[in-house]
Amino acid sequence: MGDRDERMAAIRKAFPAGSVDEVPGGDMPTLRVDRRVLPELARLLKTDPALDCKLLLDVCGADYPGRAERFEVVYHLASLQHPFRLRLKVPVPEADPVVPSVFGVWKAADWFEREAFDMFGIRFEGHPNLKRILCHRAFQGHALRKDYDAGQRWLLREAEQELPSWATERVEDGDHFETQVLNLGPSHPATHGTLRTVVRLDGELITKAEVEIGYLHRCFEKMAESHTWNQVIPYTDRLNYCSAMMNGVGYALAVEKMLGVEAPPRAQTIRLILSELSRIMDHIVDIGANLNDLGAMTPFLYMYEAREEIYSLLEACCGSRLTMSYVRIGGLSHDVPHDFADSVRYLLRRIPKLIGDMETLITNNRIFRDRTEGVGKLSAEEAVDWGWTGPCLRSTGVAYDVRKAYPYLGYETYDFKVPVSHGGDTYARYLVRVEEMKQSLALVEQALARLEAGPVILDNHNVALPPKAEVYTEMESLIWHFKLIMEGMKVPAGDGYGFTEAANGELGYYIVSDGGGKPYRIKVRPPCFAIFQAYPHMIEDHMVADAVAILGSLNVIAGELDR
Amino acid sequence: MGDPGKTPTLPVQGNASARAPHLKDGDPAFLTTRMDALLDAARKNSLWPFPFGTACCAIEFMSFMMSHYDISRFGAEVVRFSPRQSDLLIVAGTVTDKMAPVMVRIYEQMAEPKYVISMGVCACTGGFYRAYHVVQGIDEFIPVDVYVPGCPPTPEALLQGVVKLQEMIARGETHYQRALAAARAAGR
Amino acid sequence: MKSDDVVVCDPRPLTLTQRFYLVEVVKGLAVTLRHFLGNLFARKYTVTVEWPEVKREYSERLRGRHILLAKPDGSPRCVACYMCEEACPAQCIHIEAEDDPTSPSIEYEKRPKVFTIDLLRCVYCGFCVDACPKEAIVMSRTHEMAFGAREEAIVGLDELMQKGPYEQLDLGYRPYFGAPRSKIELPIPVKAR
Repeated sequence: MGDRDERMAAIRKAFPAGSVDEVPGGDMPTLRVDRRVLPELARLLKTDPALDCKLLLDVCGADYPGRAERFEVVYHLASLQHPFRLRLKVPVPEADPVVPSVFGVWKAADWFEREAFDMFGIRFEGHPNLKRILCHRAFQGHALRKDYDAGQRWLLREAEQELPSWATERVEDGDHFETQVLNLGPSHPATHGTLRTVVRLDGELITKAEVEIGYLHRCFEKMAESHTWNQVIPYTDRLNYCSAMMNGVGYALAVEKMLGVEAPPRAQTIRLILSELSRIMDHIVDIGANLNDLGAMTPFLYMYEAREEIYSLLEACCGSRLTMSYVRIGGLSHDVPHDFADSVRYLLRRIPKLIGDMETLITNNRIFRDRTEGVGKLSAEEAVDWGWTGPCLRSTGVAYDVRKAYPYLGYETYDFKVPVSHGGDTYARYLVRVEEMKQSLALVEQALARLEAGPVILDNHNVALPPKAEVYTEMESLIWHFKLIMEGMKVPAGDGYGFTEAANGELGYYIVSDGGGKPYRIKVRPPCFAIFQAYPHMIEDHMVADAVAILGSLNVIAGELDR
Repeated sequence: MGDPGKTPTLPVQGNASARAPHLKDGDPAFLTTRMDALLDAARKNSLWPFPFGTACCAIEFMSFMMSHYDISRFGAEVVRFSPRQSDLLIVAGTVTDKMAPVMVRIYEQMAEPKYVISMGVCACTGGFYRAYHVVQGIDEFIPVDVYVPGCPPTPEALLQGVVKLQEMIARGETHYQRALAAARAAGR
Repeated sequence: MKSDDVVVCDPRPLTLTQRFYLVEVVKGLAVTLRHFLGNLFARKYTVTVEWPEVKREYSERLRGRHILLAKPDGSPRCVACYMCEEACPAQCIHIEAEDDPTSPSIEYEKRPKVFTIDLLRCVYCGFCVDACPKEAIVMSRTHEMAFGAREEAIVGLDELMQKGPYEQLDLGYRPYFGAPRSKIELPIPVKAR
């Protein structure tokens, strides 16, 4: 930790005493920052080569009504050069809830700051477009404040729907006389889920675009505050519903980190196998839907067979095809069935054939390449600036993968490679995803060989439900069972940020516990939230048809985007 | 459209004859009644769904379309993304307050006769999202013919829903048919 | 990250034949034709489940509609302890308890007067089954449901109570005592009616 102390000392030295304080302990270096020095500190963190915090992962608010300064804005930063992560906490008083915006330093702050404004009413000074992002326009109040009633709804009339201010401006002149404003979505065949893009067209070229999201804002974070730690798991399944397992694993790992426990090895291996299969499923849907939008239906039909067979396996493990609820904090709800290994081996034989069929049809297909090469190109610097992670970032040439950089579930002991491409365009994203599917298959094969007998859930009655046989017969187990169901487990007070590599990129859970049986605050850092905010800028100077191709390749999952 | 909380009413169709049980043979209305039955038989076997997919259920809706379940065996494979070309609205997934006016607009734009299947518990009742931004059942806004439970429902459950809807159409029990019959009876 | 951890998959330039496109068309057609002919003559790649005549066989862990199990005398095993109601994230279970005058021992001293589940609220997560200390509520493999009205979906004791002997129930998700009982068969198993 020598590095950490040196870095923190360097930061503290650059600012007057009292404006930047280190918060002791915690899962990562944490600074409490006076809001007046925030822009200066942000620039230092980004530009100093020893710190190199180029990646702004998350900005979120939190509400502590008991404190003198009621709100807190929390920033999570990461360096791509050094194994260094940093958390900034900026206290904000209720009377004057203003924080300087860091949008000028990291573009990634754009939507995250709007979300904090929407949910808590914290204003970000200097933000170019600070308005509600998830809730609709007729919404009143700020939903994640502790004094907001979770059931209080507001009806939206159709006439009140959001329209960007520029949409009504007239920009036609002698050369550009065919401009019009067009709505793509929120119900549109090429929007996966419910997204709305308002574009201004000059002929068929998009000259300006703005995205409206929040059409699937299901209040995950508010709901999590009124459920016990284990009851949040079904909600996490519905974040990125294409790969439900990985959300649950990420959540369980984050909570386990705060509890200071670790799931048994068998549970870890099963989690890894099912996570990697989920990654394949997710990429299947993404590639398939993308191809479908481009007019190639057949590969989707072929690839869906693989998906159905993975479904069959998942269903046999946990009883549901899509929303699994298989993970529990401290392990898994059940052991896998006895012929699990045979079925996985069958899938390992079956899936490569289907991928092969798809590759023959698509990879060197000239029509597909003409449609996608050079379309939606983003440079590595821009991608990092927008806060991209996952396959989309790797397609721009940045070899960053949480599984390699901060291994969890024992990923460091497996032999797998991180696919990287340098195109940064839609075709590169396709190539990276195809290669990732193959690497995931290799991972599953290795993990299967290591699957040992053993328990799948901790024998710790403060965390995991006791085995049913004991509940039926022993009084003590029954009491623990009652306590866990009625009160929930007690997670030590404090905060933590758990992060895993989900199918779209870094899925982070920033969790605050007050020591009670329910989470005090859970903030999800959804990977496609950061990815999608670059979209309106990517589609400018492209055709509408290209916008569809780009959208498909970004794999925006509305459940995760809007939560 | 006006208040989104108000259920849209079906327009009354001119002087078309009612499907009244008291008609005698030889009544000119007999022919049109038989005609209605024939049309219903045609309609139920060629539903054109509009997939209003918003969330997880949309992924299961894909399974329902794909080779394993293959809805074309029930004559409903022509998925149209234009409400003007479809007669079955399948609401698959959570509908939020922000999305509700869009859903109502799409429902109103659909050509008649039109039917609604609410797929999944979120669309039916809001499911476990008893929250500030989620519609607690789409029947707050539009009439629903078939509710399919499940989170998400298995493709078989949705197939069951479609089959149930076909039976309802054959028996004249859908919201649209009942409203039409009531309007005709009142028009006499 | 070390360089040997990375596999570079940059696009390869198209060869002349690929640019010419015709050969690639034939290759692609060969793939689709293989599937087509395989299905036409041998149904080799056919994966369609001919529902409803043939049904996909789900595992014994499928989380379908709930069943309330009965004691040997036919009364519910449930002791109205409210654990499932508490554990349910959707709050779809509603229980009202009453004293059980017929109880022979103190083991079952309460019984449910009202026990309803709103099947259109339930998210089928199985937490009620995990929470039950008496193995009174389990899940069946009945998942093909469709309702014409919301009221139909609120089922009470009568509909939920086990009908017929235990072995004949199509049991799904339930607590496991020993070895897991479900099996996976791939390719996806189906059963004919």
